[in-house]
Amino acid sequence: MANDLVRGHLDGLLLAVLAEAPGHGYELIQRLAARSGGELELPEGTVYPALHRLERAGLATSEWSAQDGRRRRVYRLSPTGRRAAEGARREWRLFADAVDRVLGAPA
Amino acid sequence: MNEIDGYLAALAAELRTKGAARRRILEECAGHLADAAVDDGAAAAVARFGPAEEVAAAFDAETATRRGLRATALSAAGVAATGLSTLVLIHAASPGATGPAAPAVVFFVCAQVAAVAGASAVVQALAHRHETLSPPSLALLARRNAVALVAAGATMLAAGAALPGHGSAPALLAGPVLLLGAFAAATRARRLARHLPGGRARIALSPLDDVLGDVLGDTGGFPVRWARATIDPVRHPMRACAVVAAIAAAGALWRDLGEGATLGGAAGVGLVELAAVVACFAALGPALGLRAGRER
Repeated sequence: MANDLVRGHLDGLLLAVLAEAPGHGYELIQRLAARSGGELELPEGTVYPALHRLERAGLATSEWSAQDGRRRRVYRLSPTGRRAAEGARREWRLFADAVDRVLGAPA
Repeated sequence: MNEIDGYLAALAAELRTKGAARRRILEECAGHLADAAVDDGAAAAVARFGPAEEVAAAFDAETATRRGLRATALSAAGVAATGLSTLVLIHAASPGATGPAAPAVVFFVCAQVAAVAGASAVVQALAHRHETLSPPSLALLARRNAVALVAAGATMLAAGAALPGHGSAPALLAGPVLLLGAFAAATRARRLARHLPGGRARIALSPLDDVLGDVLGDTGGFPVRWARATIDPVRHPMRACAVVAAIAAAGALWRDLGEGATLGGAAGVGLVELAAVVACFAALGPALGLRAGRER
């Protein structure tokens, strides 16, 4: 899928995978790939600035955690982020339904 | 040097973010690449992570946005505190003292410039607080903050020159101290923004669009929608300048008449106000992103 399309919805996608459970960046990217069947691909390095943005906006929090002898920055949703995840889900359903009525309709 | 070390060195070279934020970025990226290399090999991990310059630019833009928003909050506090210190200064002046005309004009002009620049910066920051701002937008935010801070400082200096007096030192110094701190933060944010690709480009960004589109949403109502359609400075610069100058001149006339000035004297002050608004809009409009400037 085109990078721009994925980028446009990256915050919502990250909120959705964070709503499942907290995780570090690599873990979240793997979850994203697994849930999308590998369809949502973008440079993995650009996911981290998006995570920093969610943190700045108060939608996520993060802290260092030692796992397997290495420090990893683990992200979790804040209560505001949980509400934002729900909002993003609702907004997406409306958008997808509207697009489907246009693009999915027989010519 | 293996592929991951080479990539991290390239990322570090591209990254303009400094300090603790830089260390965090590089540590997170190193951890990610190490995990990915275990699963798929170093070459695939590096390829999937994306070009170092693209990743560094995304991190820098986010850092610059965080700094820009923080500098805006500090600037708003600095301008407000300097305003309060200026009021303390005015109240400490000898009763009945009247100052020379030139500092008085500077006082009124700079106070209004500080208010307009500061309000534009706050509205821009509030409207885009959940986004990563583009480099030109970050540079504009930094300019608005810098102009607001300089104008607030000039307002206080002019008040001091016009009406010298003796006030409480802590109350008088609180504003300027906060102002200097905010100026340092705004300068730091501006420096990073100007180093980003496109950070030297000038854009015009209507505060009315920010208010209507993002701060108030649809609750702005008819007055904001009307203002946006008819006197938006970016879309209708001449009309906006004329309307604002007329309102400001009428306000100055009304204020002076209320304070017992003669009609001639009040009209003179109104004309000075009108000329000041037009001159400031012409001189500072492009820098504050309130109207499009000439291509540079």
